[in-house]
Amino acid sequence: MDVQESHNVTLKINGEVRQLGVDSNWTLNDVLRNRLDLTGTKRACDYGGCGSCTVLMDGVDVYSCSILAVEAEGKEILTIEGLGDSESLHPLQKSFALSYAAQCGWCTPGMIMSAKALLNRNPNPTEAEVRAALAGVLCRCTGYTSIVKAVLDAASTMRGAT
Amino acid sequence: MSEEFFTVGKSVAPIYGIEKATGQVRFPADVNLPNMLWMKILRSPHAHAKIAAIDVSDVLKIPGVAAVLTHKDVPEVLFGPYQNEIYPLDEELRFVGDTVAAVAAEDWNIAEQAIRAIRVTYESLPAVLDAVAGAAPGAPDAVLHYPERHEIKPGDIRPDQLGAFGNIVGLKEGGPTVVNQRGDVERGFADSDVVVQRVFRQSEVNAVSHEPRACVAVYENNRCTLWCSVQDPYRLQGSAARVLGLPMEAVRVVSTNLGGAFGVKVTGRFAILCALLARQTGRPVKVWFTREEESLDSHNRSALTHYVKAGAKEDGYLTALQVRTFQDNGYWPFGGLGQNIAFAISTRPIDLYHRCPNVKWEVFAVRTNYPSTGPYRGRADAESHFPIESVMDELADAIHMDPIDFRLKNRLHEGDDLCSAPGKVVSTVWVEEAARAGAKAIGWERRSPFPAANPGPRKKGIGMAMVIHSCGSNPAGTSEAEVVIDGDGRISLFSGTPDQGSEQQTTLRQMVAEIFGVALEDVHGSNADTASCPYDSGPFSSRTVYATGIAASRAAEQAKKKVLEQAASLLKRQTRDLDVGKHAVWIHSEPSRKLHLSDVISFAGGSISGKGIHNGKEDRLFAYGFAAAFAEVEVDVETGEVKILRLVSSHDVGRAINPMIVEGQILGGAAQGLGYALTEGFCFDPRTGTALNQWFLDLRTPSILDIPDIEPVIVELGEPTHPFGAKGCSEISYVGVAPAVANAIYNAAGIRLTELPMTPDRVLKALQETQGSVR
Repeated sequence: MDVQESHNVTLKINGEVRQLGVDSNWTLNDVLRNRLDLTGTKRACDYGGCGSCTVLMDGVDVYSCSILAVEAEGKEILTIEGLGDSESLHPLQKSFALSYAAQCGWCTPGMIMSAKALLNRNPNPTEAEVRAALAGVLCRCTGYTSIVKAVLDAASTMRGAT
Repeated sequence: MSEEFFTVGKSVAPIYGIEKATGQVRFPADVNLPNMLWMKILRSPHAHAKIAAIDVSDVLKIPGVAAVLTHKDVPEVLFGPYQNEIYPLDEELRFVGDTVAAVAAEDWNIAEQAIRAIRVTYESLPAVLDAVAGAAPGAPDAVLHYPERHEIKPGDIRPDQLGAFGNIVGLKEGGPTVVNQRGDVERGFADSDVVVQRVFRQSEVNAVSHEPRACVAVYENNRCTLWCSVQDPYRLQGSAARVLGLPMEAVRVVSTNLGGAFGVKVTGRFAILCALLARQTGRPVKVWFTREEESLDSHNRSALTHYVKAGAKEDGYLTALQVRTFQDNGYWPFGGLGQNIAFAISTRPIDLYHRCPNVKWEVFAVRTNYPSTGPYRGRADAESHFPIESVMDELADAIHMDPIDFRLKNRLHEGDDLCSAPGKVVSTVWVEEAARAGAKAIGWERRSPFPAANPGPRKKGIGMAMVIHSCGSNPAGTSEAEVVIDGDGRISLFSGTPDQGSEQQTTLRQMVAEIFGVALEDVHGSNADTASCPYDSGPFSSRTVYATGIAASRAAEQAKKKVLEQAASLLKRQTRDLDVGKHAVWIHSEPSRKLHLSDVISFAGGSISGKGIHNGKEDRLFAYGFAAAFAEVEVDVETGEVKILRLVSSHDVGRAINPMIVEGQILGGAAQGLGYALTEGFCFDPRTGTALNQWFLDLRTPSILDIPDIEPVIVELGEPTHPFGAKGCSEISYVGVAPAVANAIYNAAGIRLTELPMTPDRVLKALQETQGSVR
């Protein structure tokens, strides 16, 4: 069966080059979570319906569930683990953590990565721009108000820092 | 409230915030172990069927398949989330998606391939796919073979009696599951100046927790460890021990953080089968649901039909209320939690409107061949408040009285006896304060009596609903907590309750910190690991801050008392001469000479611990939470679209231990309630029982573009039964939204929406019907 056909891929994940064998139908999400134990990237639906699996591929936010591992060959992938950790929090992570914008925490990595992509291209977004940019990530816990505020706060911090 | 606190009442950052924002928190689905197998479940394509034959001979030939389990291979032991009523696998399949068999394989692809290689011959059986029809005489049986009940306790239904009276849960021939009444409704209606009568229908809804449930099982040396997405880790511990034939202490369940739960993540077959496969293969096994499985194999809010009749006098007093409710109870043979939910549906609203002298509320909980129904956020009250609050609005309108004044005139008062908690009286009722504060926030005085006088196709209106809901005072639950001070003077709280997003551990640790006079970060500990934490029935019915909070406070007070006793002995003083705070003990008169907690522990030897327990059974006072929801909407009478302009959610929370978390829970609950009001409905084909929208986007949960900035209002007037005066409030914010929006739609466009969700097509249909009747 095709699914069992194995390929060797080289992925650059969080700055680190990883080589591994993958089945042709494995998604980037499968590889990150199930083979590399980078479980910060979530999955809630597996077909681009929720956004919790969002990562950056060459600086652009993508659904890792909808990218085959073989398609990610040679691309630069940034996951929540690569954005920052508890020792060196990214301003987005800090604002989400301190303001209860992460309730259950399942959509949070996708939400933060999507916000990171927004701030890459627009460091000074309006509230409406934040809402439009994050519309591809669903949250079931917060009602979104705290998330919008956390992104605006982080953007302001980052502008101040540069 | 005038008392000054050190940590309580402060919006300190949640303890799991950084782990969540960095992706470092390990949810059960994030547990990966070396040499781990992947489990997959084969699910029934039939609403009701019997397995006539099952052949797995091809499965084990597939390279990479380690084991397969069918109903012939599993222990015949009953277990279940609510009562022991299902086997790990069963010959009879009772809904589309029911568990047929399970496999374990080297990876998820092979496991998927393996379940397709199982050959099953199904014998299709007649199915019950409508609750009202299923309650009628002559309907087919939704459950054909009732499991043997091995332990029959006094009052239990005997297996031979089950099903004797059709599909209605409970045992009354032709009668309802529960009936609650007072007075004489016929006399009440005869006395009424106005009577309204309506039929309300509500779709089944799915909680749509974003983490699809998962379990990772390890079985070694007759001990089993389960990392599992359940809110009831101790119930799973007991169930797994029963099925595996192990003593309770040989099973460990870890459910520390869950990716959303909302009441529905409970003990289930997936976890039990995972444990059995780990035992059979001797390797770690992981099961992780797809979204489709998470939708089907969950516990949805019931689909409901309510027949409501209510009457009032011109002076504003209710005269009578009569309701007959049909509750689709799903496939549970013994009824699951259906009887309990039916009881709450039929009693809470009549407690809220305690002044109404004549009431009769019957609920028929009906076994059907749909997925399980169970307690989802706002359990029972979301089910009942949509019809009741709609009818209250209509009565107020009919007698030309302000809807808030009308409701308050008939409301529950402090010290009133409770129909929903027999033998108990309600302690505090701050519903008037919540309603008035909410009215002020939305600008209620701007509301014009119907019809709102705005020309054009977009009509604006304001509506409200008043709500009662559990705030943790639930006699069915028990919470224990332990506070330990170790040799370094480090304070830790151990609590059995998972964090499913409410950050209850933060709130609980704030209470412990307050008692010891230390900062939040000085309180450590762990939660929801059965190996290290004492029993808790789990974060259901908004009970953690209240019930576990009482237990944690008692544990902290007991530990503090022991510290004082040891310090008194060390300092040769009376305990009353001493103070505790900031990791130290000192004599009142000599505050500069401080004894560090570690010195006290060192004197005591080892550690000092305190234990606390809460179970509301013995208390006569019963705490309830109250709220009022206010919506301002714009109804487009050409497209049927309802736009939410403003939503105010006003709450009696007793006291906000952490106002930021309280606000977060109010906003989140109200946003989910808005989904229930306008877009969400879990739909099934009524001919086959097949789910039609089990996928994420089709369940229509609100996106960031659908939710306005909801305005929370927090009313803090205390609750004497809780050490810090707190009431749980994580669910009640959901309950009032749908009726408030329905009443606002009426105020805007003069139409009564009686079906949830209130989609544009239903709005247009109601507009056409109203216009038709005018012409």
